[in-house]
Amino acid sequence: MSVLKRVQQWATFARIWHVYDAAWQNPFQSAELLKKYLMGMYKPIYHPSNDCGDHVIVINSAEIALPGDEWKKRVYFHHTGYPGGATWTLAWDLHSKDPTMVPAVYNSMDGNLKRRYTMERLHIFPDSNVPKDLMANVSNQIRQIRPMPKRLDHYPEQQVKEFPKVIDYPKDYVVR
Amino acid sequence: MSLCRQSFLLLRRSVVQNVCFRVTETRNIKRWVSPTLKELKRRRDKIGPEPEKPRSSFLEWNYEAEIYAFGKRLGEEFDKKLLKQALIQREYANMQEFKAKEQVIVPLINFQEFPVSKETLSNTFKAVVAVLKRSKDLNRAQIFVKDFVLSQMNGKDVYELWDPQNPYEYLTTLLNEKGITEIEPRLCNQSAVNTILANFQVGLYSNRKLLGIGWGENIKIAKETAALDAIQRIYKDYVPK
Repeated sequence: MSVLKRVQQWATFARIWHVYDAAWQNPFQSAELLKKYLMGMYKPIYHPSNDCGDHVIVINSAEIALPGDEWKKRVYFHHTGYPGGATWTLAWDLHSKDPTMVPAVYNSMDGNLKRRYTMERLHIFPDSNVPKDLMANVSNQIRQIRPMPKRLDHYPEQQVKEFPKVIDYPKDYVVR
Repeated sequence: MSLCRQSFLLLRRSVVQNVCFRVTETRNIKRWVSPTLKELKRRRDKIGPEPEKPRSSFLEWNYEAEIYAFGKRLGEEFDKKLLKQALIQREYANMQEFKAKEQVIVPLINFQEFPVSKETLSNTFKAVVAVLKRSKDLNRAQIFVKDFVLSQMNGKDVYELWDPQNPYEYLTTLLNEKGITEIEPRLCNQSAVNTILANFQVGLYSNRKLLGIGWGENIKIAKETAALDAIQRIYKDYVPK
């Protein structure tokens, strides 16, 4: 094998590191997106038995947004194996215990021998504080599914005041 | 083995006692087969593998017939005398001469290069081509080389045959001849820098034009492979005069 062929092989099987901001994102839709990167499904060399998956760093996992009343209704089941060891934890409860625990990605993939190794390539952080040596590996950012709108209280007060208004409340109007 | 010895003793006793002894076959499991085979295998392994022998050391070796068949196999008409001359190595010829002068030196007599080195093979091939040129003509020899060498090299990667040691320096000298003096290596991409699977992509530019691009596990290797790629790109449209 010549030098050029060798480095071509090296570059073909290079592991790319992506970063994904999970703030205000639906975890179930995000899981379908991240799964493609984790398993390398977007690559032309992809095959289920081919070890070509990438790494994904997920930041701000504490700020994920479940749709509808999923926080109250979604239940995660666990059984310790002992009699009476079954527990049912609500999504909001699980999230408050460990914000990095997102079973959505794990559940989005087929249950086979590769799933746990694929999950090892997913690095989840509750906020945007990622170790510097991990962040240095990153060479791509995955676009958020839903663009995050800027909140009104994040705009400077001056700009809010100067923004043109259609009407003014009467002076004796009581805002409830 | 022990069974053999016992039967031999029995036989001798019968001869001594002058008794008529009849050998009868017994239908048992042959307990000697496995140990015998094992022992033979052990001895074979102890000696080690047999040395490779040249075909010419075999009993039925016929040099004249082989020379004749060689030409026929290639589909060419060779001058037999010239071909024989071409197939003699210089060392072998010197040795023959030496042997004729001093007949005392015994260990030298069997000396012959085996297995044959690549260099000897390539020299011999060149000699065969020269013989063809002398026996026929230059055109015939050219066609022969085209058929037997160039057809095998078709589609092969150049760098499988040629491994330049300092490709970047080689490229700079090549480009200097063409009048391009400023080469700018740029880091185009990198991924997984802090891991064992680090990958870098380096592009060589000159006057905002891409000369070659390469990958590697570190920047140095990526730069060198980019140089190799650039050399290949220079000669991409090369047509021999």
